[in-house]
Amino acid sequence: MRRLLLLLLTLWFTTNLLAVDATLKIEKDVEQRARIALVDGSAQHHEKFFDILLSDLKISGHFLADSQLYRGGFSDSFIDPKLKSRDYLLKYNLLSGNGTKLYIRLLRASDGTELYKKSYSIPNSAKIPFVAHKAISDINAYLKYPDISWINRYVVFTRYTAAKTSEIILADYTFTYQKPIIRGGLNLFPKWADADQRTLYYTSYKGTLPTLYKIDIYTGSKSRIISSEGMLVCSDVSRDYRKILLTMAPHGHADIYEMDLSTGSKKKVTNFNGIDVSGKYVDDERNIVFVSNRLGYANVFRKGVDTPGVAPVVYHGRNNNACDAHDNRVVYSSRESSSSFGRNTFNLYLTSSRGGDTRPLTTTGSNQFPRFSSDGSVVLYIKQSGRGSAIGYINLASSQSLLFPVSINKIQSIDW
Amino acid sequence: MKKIYISTIALLMFSGCAQNTPDAGGNIADANTLTSDTVTLDENNMFEDGSGMNYNSSSDGFASVYFDFDGYSIAPSMEKRMRHNATKAQSAGSRQVKLEGNCDEFGTDEYNYALGLKRAKAVKDALADQGVDTSNVVMVSFGESSPVCSETTDACYAQNRRVDLRLVR
Repeated sequence: MRRLLLLLLTLWFTTNLLAVDATLKIEKDVEQRARIALVDGSAQHHEKFFDILLSDLKISGHFLADSQLYRGGFSDSFIDPKLKSRDYLLKYNLLSGNGTKLYIRLLRASDGTELYKKSYSIPNSAKIPFVAHKAISDINAYLKYPDISWINRYVVFTRYTAAKTSEIILADYTFTYQKPIIRGGLNLFPKWADADQRTLYYTSYKGTLPTLYKIDIYTGSKSRIISSEGMLVCSDVSRDYRKILLTMAPHGHADIYEMDLSTGSKKKVTNFNGIDVSGKYVDDERNIVFVSNRLGYANVFRKGVDTPGVAPVVYHGRNNNACDAHDNRVVYSSRESSSSFGRNTFNLYLTSSRGGDTRPLTTTGSNQFPRFSSDGSVVLYIKQSGRGSAIGYINLASSQSLLFPVSINKIQSIDW
Repeated sequence: MKKIYISTIALLMFSGCAQNTPDAGGNIADANTLTSDTVTLDENNMFEDGSGMNYNSSSDGFASVYFDFDGYSIAPSMEKRMRHNATKAQSAGSRQVKLEGNCDEFGTDEYNYALGLKRAKAVKDALADQGVDTSNVVMVSFGESSPVCSETTDACYAQNRRVDLRLVR
């Protein structure tokens, strides 16, 4: 009877508890993260700044940060007894007024020993989020954790403002800082053109034909790269920034081309009387992955830059119409509901350029515009749900994820 | 003791299957119902083609061509419009005719722009089939950037899946 009871109880737990979510995730590395608390020693507490520091620590995947704020003197080495169980304390002093200054001190929590200190100064207080990101990435580097300098990078995106009108905007990764850099008319598909994020490509619809420009975001100087009838998009840039992948349609259907920027020569990489878009380099730039409707619906395919064979990368879903790639990894968005109209469920998946080791990254809502960070460690995406829009980040190594609510009507494209 | 075991198991097994009690309040039949909102028609943006789809956002006397969801083939219901557009294009002489492909909001960045372009190409091919010299025809896709209707209805989305025709200025 006891065995029967045990069997029935096991059955009940299996059907009622595990049915909630088929995925069981084991967080084996929780204790390896450094426990850290933030102590604000500023004369005036800046709540948003504290939130950004906290987000930076969380998304790094290297810290277990107290979400509670502590106040205390900046210069002294006094450690509140209740904080001595942490590994580190980060004391900071934010001074606003004529520009913004930030002083930080990293202390060992057990005895108050100062391990690291640094100061930052910026003339433009709107860029305060970048000061927070820099401070946390510096502390991360001092502690010799894997690099997180991606948090210092600009995110660039296009948002529609009216019919045939858009703005290209620079933001920090939390979208706390936002600044329009190109206004007037329809300007789309921004793509960073160099490693330092000084220049970017974008498509202008000012003339009769869509035209690709390269603009210096600090001087405003821009140069024309190419024009094409129909549509024109720079979808990827080679690692040495000497070649770009373009989606062009000189004959009325979109194909992917590779352009050598030093010679101006173009090579047609795909050739299909349908839709081929979103070309991304993979496999040391010997291959590309791209989105095509060659099987009757949007799906992700792989093709050699110089070889003819085309192979599908994804073997599920009926609409996989957005992808990004880094080295030999591919992230894509897959529609998982069948409503022709209205809000559908789109989930993100991570796979390899050969289509193996596929795993889901999201499970609810509409998740689109997936983009890898410059080092491939984090995926950015836009999430739409009943609670509104948010920009999301998934740290692929730590599985740490963060969402930042945004109130932007319609994002057209994004890069970082 | 066995009865207690069995009762406990039965309680556990059925505890996860409870259903919410239907809300007894707010009986709509007892309320004064209001009819849905009325339409506002702008005769400048209409085209009589006898197909039932009589919106128009083209200019210079052309008629917009509408498409099915995720489709880029010209439906039989659009053939009368295409004949009208072919006549207009032929009378344009040496002036360039611009075909603007558009999509509804369901799609993402590049793919939607390519879809809008395929729609423009379908209209260009249909003009050629009707004897129009298309060397003066240029195509551009505006993807989902140029909606003419922003309501969340099927009829509204259908107005946005279109190709507009106009003369290049």
